[in-house]
Amino acid sequence: MDCNQCEFRPELYYDDEFQIWVSREDNGDYLVGMTDISQTIAGRILHVRVRRPGTRRPMGKPVATLESGKWAGPVPNLMDCIIVEGNQAVLEQPGLLNRDPYGAWIARVRPMDANQDVLAPFVTGEQARKGYCARAQAEDIHCKRLKD
Amino acid sequence: MQTKQTWRVIDTGLRRAAENMALNKTLLEGHQQGITPHTLRFLQFKPSALLGFHQSAEQELRIDYCAEQGIDIQRRITGGGAIYFDETQIGWELYLDKQTLGTADMSKIARRICEAAARGISTLGVDARYRPRNDIEVDGRKISGTGGAFDGDSILYQGTLLVDFDVERMLRVLRIPAEKLSDKAIASARERVANLKDLLGAVPDMVRVKQSISQAFAEEFGVVFEAGELNEQEQALYGESLAEIDTPEWVYQHNRPANETAVLENIVKSEGGLMRVAVSVDQARQRIKQIWITGDFFVNPRRMVADLEAALKDTPIAEMAENVHRFFDHYPVEMLLLRREDFITAITGALDGEREAAGTA
Repeated sequence: MDCNQCEFRPELYYDDEFQIWVSREDNGDYLVGMTDISQTIAGRILHVRVRRPGTRRPMGKPVATLESGKWAGPVPNLMDCIIVEGNQAVLEQPGLLNRDPYGAWIARVRPMDANQDVLAPFVTGEQARKGYCARAQAEDIHCKRLKD
Repeated sequence: MQTKQTWRVIDTGLRRAAENMALNKTLLEGHQQGITPHTLRFLQFKPSALLGFHQSAEQELRIDYCAEQGIDIQRRITGGGAIYFDETQIGWELYLDKQTLGTADMSKIARRICEAAARGISTLGVDARYRPRNDIEVDGRKISGTGGAFDGDSILYQGTLLVDFDVERMLRVLRIPAEKLSDKAIASARERVANLKDLLGAVPDMVRVKQSISQAFAEEFGVVFEAGELNEQEQALYGESLAEIDTPEWVYQHNRPANETAVLENIVKSEGGLMRVAVSVDQARQRIKQIWITGDFFVNPRRMVADLEAALKDTPIAEMAENVHRFFDHYPVEMLLLRREDFITAITGALDGEREAAGTA
């Protein structure tokens, strides 16, 4: 399926609008990042802020904020979690999100309730690929990577 | 005949910065939650210094001067740079969503809204144009700066409009190079911003200014505006937002020491004349934040200098020369004995000065 040059990674988990991805670490923490679609829509990202380590972020309260052009906004959050850390490399060079959106995670978070199925609201695999491509096509988003 | 959609217009009058920022948060969140309809708001400020969402007060503002002068310091929820705002300006802002705009592309959204605003301002009798990425100008002089915020599919896009303006006060509020506070530099800054009073010969009727802008948005989006007020749910949300925003924790949340941003200066004499360059650099990210170029050289059109400054905003230091070349490759300009390389030399000199300074620190 043609995804308008938007890269998709089947092993990651996505919100149903494909704005963010999350992946589980061996110790039960999760990495949160933005998708190729999101970085393309945003354009050159100039600022990233992650909430202080140790801060609790309930579902719906963003773990991080971004700024590109003169647009500012939240990175959506679908998990009741605590911030473990922001990715120092991304905080210092936000352009990494434009170059390598799946390599450059934004925040590492720990779910409040380790027993809960925190991945339930997310989609993954082939089902996610269909939705991801459908969004790129419906909104006519053609992904491109900036060189910085 | 198709009936046009009705959008709400509210005029919240003259307010403190904290109240205006809390209304921004209220209406954007309200829009995202479905309690705020598509809205155009007009607003005015008591004297205020407004930081961009990710900026630090200590890096951007002369905090002592603001305190002495009774100028409120606040943080916007929209991106962009620090600005000075007072009763002599009108703010306008739109709350919409990406579906209504028919695109998720943020730069297209900004362009569409700015071009409509420029048409509205032009009906007052000036030739206002959109200058990418975020300014509206008249004959190369900025008359309106803009910025946006998003929350899910909802967007807030806002702009200023200079009706009358105290340039010197703005320069004193913002932390910009001291050299820029000389009489000559103030005169030069004055040449780069425009206001309606100077352009039209008198302060225009504010009601007419607002009508011109709302008319232009109504035409652009094919809607009619109907005057309204905040609804009850918005009132409740406003109380919560104000409690969060009217605090030092909100205003000073991103404070970084002022010395993380250096302003570097250089003066170069070439055949074309004397050129002064001041560059503010984000050290951590190795980027040029902003650049100011003055001098006695001749260029036509004169606005080329302001356009070059705009083109070099947020440029990685490593790509400065390439960006200067790219700019001149596409910009028709006459220069008298001045070459594009002179700009590169002057900027490089300022940046190299920084590296020496950093090496001794």
